Amino acid sequence: MITYIDGPEIKITENDGIFIDAEFFHTGEKLTGLEVHRLFPMSGGNKYLVLLDEDGEQKAVIRNADNLMPESKKVVLRALDEYYMMPRITRITKMTEKFLIWMWSVETDRGPITFEIRNHLASVKPLYDGRVLIKDANDNRYEIPDLKKLDIKSQRLIGPKL
Amino acid sequence: MGKIITNLPLPDKIAAEVDKLFKDDEHLVNLVGDLTLKRRYGSSVIVFGKKGLYYFGDIEAEPKYVPYADIKEATVKRMYGSAYFSVEKKDGKKQKLIRFTYAAASVAEACAEFINNIAENGYKEEYLYGIENTVFHLRSFCPKCGRKLPNPEAECINCKGKGKMISKFSGYAKPYTGKLIACMILSIFTTAMSLVPPYITGYMVDNVLPNKNLGMLYKTILILLCVYILQYTVTAFRSYLLRLTGDKIVFGLKKDIYEKAQFLPLSFYDKTSTGSVINRINSDTSAIQNFVLKVTQEAVVQLFTLVGILIIMLSLNWKLTLFSLVPIPIVAIIGKVFGKKIGPMYMRLWRRSSAISGLLTDTIPSVRIIKAFTNERAAVKNFDSYCDEWMKEDTKVSKITGIFPAAMTFLVTCGTLIIWFSGGNYIINGVNGFSIGLLVSFVSYASMFYNPVNFFANFSDTYRNTVASAEKILDILDAEPEHDFGQGNIPDRIEGKIEFKNVNFSFDRSKKVLSNINLSIEPGDVVGIVGTTGSGKSTLINLIMRYYDDYDGEILIDGQNLKDIDLKYYRQQIGFVQQEPMMFKDTIFNNIAYGADRVHPESVLRAADVANAHGFISRLPDGYDTVLGERGVGLSGGEKQRVSIARAVMKNPSILILDEATAAVDSETEKLIQEAIERLIRGRTTLMIAHRLSTLRKANKIVVVDKGEIIECGTPQELLAMKGKYYRLVEIQSMGEQLLAKKAAENFE
Repeated sequence: MITYIDGPEIKITENDGIFIDAEFFHTGEKLTGLEVHRLFPMSGGNKYLVLLDEDGEQKAVIRNADNLMPESKKVVLRALDEYYMMPRITRITKMTEKFLIWMWSVETDRGPITFEIRNHLASVKPLYDGRVLIKDANDNRYEIPDLKKLDIKSQRLIGPKL
Repeated sequence: MGKIITNLPLPDKIAAEVDKLFKDDEHLVNLVGDLTLKRRYGSSVIVFGKKGLYYFGDIEAEPKYVPYADIKEATVKRMYGSAYFSVEKKDGKKQKLIRFTYAAASVAEACAEFINNIAENGYKEEYLYGIENTVFHLRSFCPKCGRKLPNPEAECINCKGKGKMISKFSGYAKPYTGKLIACMILSIFTTAMSLVPPYITGYMVDNVLPNKNLGMLYKTILILLCVYILQYTVTAFRSYLLRLTGDKIVFGLKKDIYEKAQFLPLSFYDKTSTGSVINRINSDTSAIQNFVLKVTQEAVVQLFTLVGILIIMLSLNWKLTLFSLVPIPIVAIIGKVFGKKIGPMYMRLWRRSSAISGLLTDTIPSVRIIKAFTNERAAVKNFDSYCDEWMKEDTKVSKITGIFPAAMTFLVTCGTLIIWFSGGNYIINGVNGFSIGLLVSFVSYASMFYNPVNFFANFSDTYRNTVASAEKILDILDAEPEHDFGQGNIPDRIEGKIEFKNVNFSFDRSKKVLSNINLSIEPGDVVGIVGTTGSGKSTLINLIMRYYDDYDGEILIDGQNLKDIDLKYYRQQIGFVQQEPMMFKDTIFNNIAYGADRVHPESVLRAADVANAHGFISRLPDGYDTVLGERGVGLSGGEKQRVSIARAVMKNPSILILDEATAAVDSETEKLIQEAIERLIRGRTTLMIAHRLSTLRKANKIVVVDKGEIIECGTPQELLAMKGKYYRLVEIQSMGEQLLAKKAAENFE
């Protein structure tokens, strides 16, 4: 059965990077070295976060990080930020193709990068909320948060791929 | 000093420093990452020697040294979109050395294993093989086009020969060159015929009608009739010939795509929906057919018409001809703008229509489940939303494709008005040598002249549409097929010895599904593979079936690398019984004899008998001729399972794989299937995946898989004595069975 955490019944403290320690007030249980993962990495934001022990066993599910105690929330958000890396594409500078393999040169919130896309049909997924998710040939993920907010040149480059 | 293994070239700045670092040690390996520790794109490096490593957290960082003697364990932690390399020192301190995206993760894992081996046993050269193998695997790309190759020496099918889109597709038209040339000649003939009537009309207006010459009128009308009869008879014959040729071209293309689709690896279907493959075979081939015919026929004819009319018009009156050319640049510019706009639209439209096909292939075969959940309305709603998306895109395309020809026609009409304006002025002002007949002929020729102009302006539309289709077809035609099908080694026979050596596998690079698998199975062994759902049991089987080649490490069959054995031969030696057996829409006989040529009826009867299927088949009114519906509708789960076992018996395989063969049947049927399986496994290497441990009573070896790793392996007795995971699984199941038996007894009383 899933143990849900609504907010103040848990105290979360920092361990190391993506790892956190948790104290459950209702049971008195103290766990160390837990990982916090999103159950809905694409759509859920900071809601429904699962706490896993080092064997990957689920310990609890936090319904909404916003309802945690401020210190705990800070630790959880820091751990999530450390664990999840989906660079946001802010500009598409170049797209070249050779033998159906495309090289995208983009600017992201983590710096410029060039990656390879082998099949646009499978790798570029426009979502209904205006976001576009991209997976490169190495299975790295990227996100365009709002297609309409990209500059005209970037929109013109990505347009045919959607 | 040997060759340094590296996943990527070292950044210049670090390369210069590294040379100075290894004075008392030997530089062996570079691991070049693509993130800084702060997770921004940049370079980070670990260089490995025999005694220790130096790491650079980013390009500006000073190198730091960690001797292997201080390291307790090195690990790579894969997260979401990135990973880091860390070491735990003997004093308990943990340290993150560098970060990288998934591009470097597999090499990093091999490096971590390298360090752990040295930390445990000291340096040995063989520890480098793992890294070498992984880097070698990573580098199996064509240096010319970057396409992934089955092995580093393999020839790239993409760059081999012509490889280009046009030449690829024109290859399909080549066998019909004669017919296409004949069609072209007939087209030129009909076009030439179509140039005659305006001339005769002009002659009638100028010479026949003003002179009231009835005899001449009848003659010219008769000539016109003959010209029309000839023109349209030839047109009809040409259309027939063209249709026939076009169909043959598209048939060849469809056949090739279907054939290619059969030989594509499962990893292709993991990423591509079957609906989209069906769409490519059906609609996209027609787009190519349309294009090939347009290029080889219409384009040539229209060009001929264009040049012919231009020559006639210039010979009639060059000034008026130049006037009539005024709209041409505007037509050409609009055509180009239109082409640019419509291309991406067609691509989007295709995606929407492909999504609808995908939805149909998903939901129509699952109609039973939809009904069981009374989800008909939701299914319709979902379909509606897909159609709405398609409709929105189609409306946009329709608008453009509607406006464009109308705009073109308007411009063409304006061209005719210019001719009327100038020609009319010539006649009214009595310009020498310009007659009413000449003007009538000129107007007719001008309107004919705009047809080819219109055609070439619209050609970009067809071209874009075709390129969109061609790209998708090439996605299948150029995809790497399952390797060496019918080309590898064919051993005399397969004894059935299976060995896994350091096998690691992931479907995508974000999560390892199998880690460090080492396993040895002797010929004739009956091996039970147990583990919880999602532990990696079926993936293990998928690798033995060689559905995926993309793993690190080695799988040996009778001591020979699995990848060196001919795939076709190898799969023929394997019998595979699935949990949900697939039945084809064919007779039971053909379903049992599937894949075998010229089968003796008695061998099918014997196979059915061994599989305990003969009894129920013989009770069916149509016996072995019973035609099964889609997915075997008409048979119960247990019956389908027995037919599938009979299919495996027919194959007489050296290796037998049973994937949860009795999971979905009642205990009575299970007994029948168990009997069948026991007869089938005699003398063969058998791998059985089972949730119900009772079905593994014939197994002499048990492999327990957990989270992608083999955690226990041995005889059932050994594992029970270990009191580990297998022991717990047995305990849980026997407790469950006892409880069930107790409940059943209570109910009975």
